[in-house]
Amino acid sequence: MLSTEFHKTIKLDNIDDSLKREILEECDVDIEQCIECGKCSGGCSNAHIFDYTPRKIVQLIKMGDEETLLSMDCLWTCVSCHLCVDRCPAHINIPRIMDYLREKAYKRGIEPTRDKVELFNELMLDSVRKIGRVAEMTMMMKFNFKTGQYFKDADIGRQMFFKGKLSPFSPKVKHLKQVHRLFEDVPHKRGEVEK
Amino acid sequence: MNVAYFPGCSLHGLAREYDISTRLVYNHLGINLKEILDWNCCGATAAHSLNHELSVSLSARNLAIARDMQLSQVMAPCAGCYSRLKTASYELRNNKSLAGKVENLIEAPAPVEPEVSNPVQYLIEAKGTEAIAAKVVKPLKNMKLAAYYGCLLTRPRHITEFDDPEQPMSMDLILRALGAETVDWSHKAECCGGGYAASETAVVVDLGSQVLESARREGAEAIVVACPMCQTNLDTRQQTIEAELGVKYNLPIIYFTQLMGLAFGYKASQLGLKRLLVSPFPLLKSKGLI
Repeated sequence: MLSTEFHKTIKLDNIDDSLKREILEECDVDIEQCIECGKCSGGCSNAHIFDYTPRKIVQLIKMGDEETLLSMDCLWTCVSCHLCVDRCPAHINIPRIMDYLREKAYKRGIEPTRDKVELFNELMLDSVRKIGRVAEMTMMMKFNFKTGQYFKDADIGRQMFFKGKLSPFSPKVKHLKQVHRLFEDVPHKRGEVEK
Repeated sequence: MNVAYFPGCSLHGLAREYDISTRLVYNHLGINLKEILDWNCCGATAAHSLNHELSVSLSARNLAIARDMQLSQVMAPCAGCYSRLKTASYELRNNKSLAGKVENLIEAPAPVEPEVSNPVQYLIEAKGTEAIAAKVVKPLKNMKLAAYYGCLLTRPRHITEFDDPEQPMSMDLILRALGAETVDWSHKAECCGGGYAASETAVVVDLGSQVLESARREGAEAIVVACPMCQTNLDTRQQTIEAELGVKYNLPIIYFTQLMGLAFGYKASQLGLKRLLVSPFPLLKSKGLI
């Protein structure tokens, strides 16, 4: 049986173009330039695990289906390899659109399908917010603790530690006020309204 | 020749051998790397994933410091940092309204002046392979290497303006100048899984295994990289991939600067070769390089 999820009727005479205009304004990408050649999806590193391939994402934008776009799983499995935009003859910047949609979903408080990816990003930003740099070892320990995977990669971690690849020390930025200023309007958590 | 140097968090942490070897070979070629004073993290995937303005402003602060240091060229060895700095530079030059917001955040004019390059790019463009070959005292004879570029050294082309993103050759040319042979292989510009090593390990195991398999198929004895993420993913996840596929790759993942250092006559101990998980020593010994 065909999944209704993937085979919604597209009402061509009833399309909301506000998202299309928003993408043009915010991401400087004109979706109308897409010629639907599919090179983006053919090249995509992770298309085989995406619920919506880049080509479908473009169509969803044309349809104005924001609900699907903000909750789709591929927002959290896109590796940002830039193959899609690099090969696109119409210069549709899919990675920029993915970033924009992810940021929007995050600000709206929409729960991600891959909470570990979101958590990893948050922990990394927390570190940069606090000391201006990433404290790799501390961040990895926090990640394992918060996800309840206390022994995840313990063996690799041990090998890396003895190779000197994981250091408990991380130098701070001296002029931290300058870094804090960049973070003033950046939400700490999903759904947090900007100041 | 003074160049602003942006090491990024990895080169001060898990990829210190890349930092050490880059400084050594650049210095050997007469390039004076000046570390950007009090630099901050580029924000990597975390920042560009969740906040575009933050991502650009983090890099903008670093570029502004380089400008204050009177340096017109910034070189970032980490492909991730390179991509963020180069993208920020592009955005600041082309997106006036964003540039205005960033100027307010960093309290300085948008740093549109400095040019950003990656370490392969800078060597090829500023020095060329002949200058590199002229410094070789210990050629990498009979070595069959797979030069791996991954994603961000060359993509997207409108931002990097470097090499051919489909079939890049710049690192191959450097390795050949060192006396090595490089293989033609299908995955030199495919993705290793990037920043998902901890959060979605399956993605790295999947994509990384394809890269390893392609290199093995062409008879490569090692994979040569210019990115700490590529190195870490292919090196630290190799055992997991081997266990999952029931194959033994035993492929050392070596930074191109470490091999340059060896060919220039530096000792293995000066290049941090011991820090790689899959040991390159049996291979280097068999070629008479150590």
